[in-house]
Amino acid sequence: MNEADEQRRERLVKLGSATAFLAIVAIAVLVVISQSGGDGGDAANVEGAAEVRAELEGIPQSDLVLGDPDAEVTLIEFGDLQCPVCKSYSEGIVPQVIESKVRGGEARLAFRNFAFIGDESVDAAAAAIAAGEQGLGWDFVDLFYRNQGAEESGYVTDEFLRAIAEGAGVQDIDKWDEARESPRVRRQVEAEIAEAEDLGLTGTPSFVIEGPLVDGEDVLGTPGDAGTLEDAIDDAA
Amino acid sequence: MKPPAEGTLRAAATFVATLGVGVAAYIAIAEADGGAPACFAGGGGCETVIASSHSELAGINVAAIGVVGYLLLLGAALLRGDGARLAGFGLALVGFGYSVYLTWLELFVIEAICQWCVASAVLMTALFAIGVTRMLAYVGTEP
Repeated sequence: MNEADEQRRERLVKLGSATAFLAIVAIAVLVVISQSGGDGGDAANVEGAAEVRAELEGIPQSDLVLGDPDAEVTLIEFGDLQCPVCKSYSEGIVPQVIESKVRGGEARLAFRNFAFIGDESVDAAAAAIAAGEQGLGWDFVDLFYRNQGAEESGYVTDEFLRAIAEGAGVQDIDKWDEARESPRVRRQVEAEIAEAEDLGLTGTPSFVIEGPLVDGEDVLGTPGDAGTLEDAIDDAA
Repeated sequence: MKPPAEGTLRAAATFVATLGVGVAAYIAIAEADGGAPACFAGGGGCETVIASSHSELAGINVAAIGVVGYLLLLGAALLRGDGARLAGFGLALVGFGYSVYLTWLELFVIEAICQWCVASAVLMTALFAIGVTRMLAYVGTEP
């Protein structure tokens, strides 16, 4: 190797290593920002309550059912409040269906807890059912998703659930607290999980539809777009 | 094995980076319109990925960041000299590394695949391969 080649090699190693080091640092910074930006799970910093109220304003709800109680079609979402894909649906596809089919009374949308990820899912599910008993179940579910933390990371504390309930507008927090801890509500969570398993569901969110033109319940699975759910509602009516 | 001529590598990088600008701009424009890029194979993976909180980085649309990244890579491909060679390598390494992370998120966290994001990851991988070759073969040589 002549001297010129040797100098080139030295320059390549020095500059190439420095560039690679800087690039790897940049990747690490980007990943850390990405991870920290969506952490959620912070009881002291619940966000999105106003947006949730605006999204659901004017739509009747009872228990965990959103929409006109007399609607012929019921679209049922089986979700786990800790599930990140459910959070994505809650922020993208579900609001589209609410606006196009639920707000106008064509269908009602029921949320059922397929709380399979872990114990924190069960606690969250019970809290959602208890909020539903005060007519704010969907507000609770929607606000929980907006503030969701990492799965089974310990963020679903009493303090966090209370912050979500208060943000959702639950008026009687003591009554809500009592209900979510009650054996009755815990049994309801177990019953909803059992229903999901009986339907053969294997993941969340999974959608099921009931209507005049559906024999019993029709499992839709996890359609990737709002249009498929809207078509299913049209076909079931 | 003799490496390709630097002109050939720069032309290839220019072509791939231009495609990258197009792909990233399409995703960014579709999101800005409140929708999602059309998934040709159906399945709605793009809507799910776009709805995910991971489609933003510190409040900035990731596709928009991608447009800027591809434009910088295009600039590095068009320019001569060691500065451009090292910038092309470094930027492509950042883009490639972050694409690997985003693909991991799609597969294991979001659990949905957006074909346009995959297309961008493939383009970024190609730019990384070109950038490595150009740097190894030509840093320290005359422009």
